[in-house]
Amino acid sequence: MHPSRQLALLAALSASLAIAACSGSDTPTVPDPNLGTGGPRTPVTMSVLGVGDFVPRRTTGELFVRGNIAYTTTWNNGTASSPFYIWDVSGDPTLIDSVRVANASTLGDIVTTPDGAYLVVATEYSQGSIVIYSLADPRKPQLVSRFSNAETFAGVHTAEVGLVNGKPYAFLSVDPAGTLAAKLVIVDLSNPAAPQQVFSKFIGRPYVHDTFVRDGLLFLGLWNDGVAIWDIGGGGKGGTPSSPVELGRVQTVNGHVHNIWWLKDPVTGSNRYAFIGEESPATGSSSAGDIHVVDVSNMSAPREVAFYTVPGAGTHNFSVDEPNGILYAAYYNGGVRALDVRGDLGTCTDAQKSTPTNSTTPLCDLTKMGRELGIGLLDRGNPVYIWGVQYVNGSVFASDMLGSIWKMRPVSRP
Amino acid sequence: MRIHFSLALSFVSLAWLVAPRGAYAQRPDEHAGMAGMSMPDSAGPSRWHVMAQAIPVLTHAAHTAGGADLTEGYLAQSVLMTRGSLWRGHAQLDATLNGEGLTMTRGELSTGGFGEGYVDRRHPHAYLHELVLTGVGSFGPFNYSASAGRGFAPFGTDDPMMRPFEKYPLNHHLAQILERGLIAGAMRVGPAIVEGATFGGDEPTSPSAMPRLRRFGDSWSMRATLLPRPGTELQASYARIESPEQASGFGLDQRKRSASVRMISRDGSRYALAEWASTAEWDGDRNVEAFAYESALAEAAATVGPIGVAVRLEQTGRPEEERLADPFRTPRPASDLAITGITRWRVGTLALTLPSVTHGAVRGYPFVELARLSARSTVATSVFSPERFYGGGSPWMGSIGFRVRYGPLHARMGRYGVALADSPAIRALGVSADAPHAHQH
Repeated sequence: MHPSRQLALLAALSASLAIAACSGSDTPTVPDPNLGTGGPRTPVTMSVLGVGDFVPRRTTGELFVRGNIAYTTTWNNGTASSPFYIWDVSGDPTLIDSVRVANASTLGDIVTTPDGAYLVVATEYSQGSIVIYSLADPRKPQLVSRFSNAETFAGVHTAEVGLVNGKPYAFLSVDPAGTLAAKLVIVDLSNPAAPQQVFSKFIGRPYVHDTFVRDGLLFLGLWNDGVAIWDIGGGGKGGTPSSPVELGRVQTVNGHVHNIWWLKDPVTGSNRYAFIGEESPATGSSSAGDIHVVDVSNMSAPREVAFYTVPGAGTHNFSVDEPNGILYAAYYNGGVRALDVRGDLGTCTDAQKSTPTNSTTPLCDLTKMGRELGIGLLDRGNPVYIWGVQYVNGSVFASDMLGSIWKMRPVSRP
Repeated sequence: MRIHFSLALSFVSLAWLVAPRGAYAQRPDEHAGMAGMSMPDSAGPSRWHVMAQAIPVLTHAAHTAGGADLTEGYLAQSVLMTRGSLWRGHAQLDATLNGEGLTMTRGELSTGGFGEGYVDRRHPHAYLHELVLTGVGSFGPFNYSASAGRGFAPFGTDDPMMRPFEKYPLNHHLAQILERGLIAGAMRVGPAIVEGATFGGDEPTSPSAMPRLRRFGDSWSMRATLLPRPGTELQASYARIESPEQASGFGLDQRKRSASVRMISRDGSRYALAEWASTAEWDGDRNVEAFAYESALAEAAATVGPIGVAVRLEQTGRPEEERLADPFRTPRPASDLAITGITRWRVGTLALTLPSVTHGAVRGYPFVELARLSARSTVATSVFSPERFYGGGSPWMGSIGFRVRYGPLHARMGRYGVALADSPAIRALGVSADAPHAHQH
């Protein structure tokens, strides 16, 4: 191509991108075009598309978005019942309604079944349960059932839902209480009106905090016991939800394993990495804890190969835009962070390595590898404390413990 | 959070002004621990003291948890205590049974208070509050003792139960370490006392909980005390406690410091204490400090004719944790390592103790207490907002009650063997010269 044509094309492309960036559409936020490939980059500031039109007096917890409807929980209510909120997020997030859950002082987690037919809400404390709602009308959830028994009574901290051989199951991380240890409870949701417990086990040191289920494998965040990988129907070891078989386990630096995302990249076909959230002490205004990258290509011997750290802030929950290979992490007072997670994360130069806090072994540092693409919500003038984040259909949504719900434009790949 | 130096200086000055001069003496209706038994008494008989106490109290708390105004009554500080010497004074036994687990299960309204899963209420103590056997001896100028059992680790100041207020100070969990399974040693040379102990860091999870054997020895503390003159006591101490709030041992550790000046007149009619205490919660996995709380407290008491008057000023940092459906409770153990903020509490408390009412060997000391509190987040942007949670008003508490007691008042609580300096009881707590000498030696 002629150089002048190249310049004209580049100018046109730049103009198009600039217009798109200012248009308020769902076109991805474009990273700094000067981003290099060999060292740290200047992350873009993620554009805000909207913020909830209602700020509850209560503390906002987790969020889950499906289609144009979002659900946000309330946390630490100190009351006998707790509401969750329903939002229309087709444009600026607009409150539609709320649902009050009885016998719950905290609603820590919320998720829909993969087909979107049901909403599952985890309740704490002392009458721990999952409450199941029909989403026949997603704007008006209707109570279907509540699953609670002696094993969940202490409180269900997180509830993940996934299909195993076509059947929906809920994976409940149950709090420790008094002298009782934490517990994993697996519930068959085939009949949402009558959920059936199929497995339970005391596990985690001292907690099992969260799980991630995909393709018949269950990843468990076991705090100081690291991450365990179980075959529950897809690992080839004969495991089932009612009789899991452990495939492997890994200790990540500093423990405090809080949450997990096992990435399956539809573009590269890679399923080599799991991302582990470390939740270290947080104060309600500051936080600590890194993202640890674990190579799970050998499930029986997973190993940590890289990490991502933000000084003065710690990670909470993740969501991955898998088609684009971008991980979005809630980072409490550090806002939202967007990381490029496509390609080889475990190979880097010595200059791209750092030593994680309280470790002696240098690991690949995603920041030094130029994989930090974007930062969101630190430009708003007021502090944020981001609990959860989710990439859905070309938008990134975040729940703010100091506010309600944010809608942002995603970043694009460099 | 840092307490301003000027504030600390004010506290010390206050203590100094109120403090008495002169020697001290023990009144007949009180018991200064086993002070007189620090050394083996080769000639004397065994001596035992028994004290039973209960405090029926009615408390009104305005703008307490959730912004509520509450009035409640309980039987607080229901204890049966005994101290005695064994084997011709070569051993001492301290035992305290506490009935609060039966009489105030929901805890005692105490806005700003915290600990062991209770918040804005004081938790009931363990049924077996204290059971410590101490051996004492001497070698030249050295007096020494060794203690074992469940009780107070050598750290900080006296237990609030033997101080002139019914409501505990907010810093109870910063300034004392109690109900631990321990082995402790103490040595005294002239006016100097040094103590050390190893113990299990786990705090009780219920009134009936016992120290976990597998946790024994994971924590330690040291305390140095100087007695420059009778009635005056300077103390500094340090402790490392492993995972006190997570019995499994995987919670945050604590590093605690304390310093205090205590003065009491020879008849116990005037008393003052100034103390500073701090607790840093330590993330052992990352080897970094996670949170820190600090407290400064000054209290003084005097008898004015038949009336006991006591004043306490306190500033204490409190961790804010997730609350249960009962807003006065927090999950134990917690479900993660996070807190939602740190609140700086300031409290001024005035207590009046009236002349005793006697019924046979039982004496009752009516009292009135008023406390004014203020709460402010140390970081304005914290998730926890005290203004929002307490409804925006200024919290205060008022209490009336009786200290009902049988037997001589124990003057001190929290020290064993040669570490227990002679001291009279604080008269403003309710001590009468004509009290019956029940179970006196």
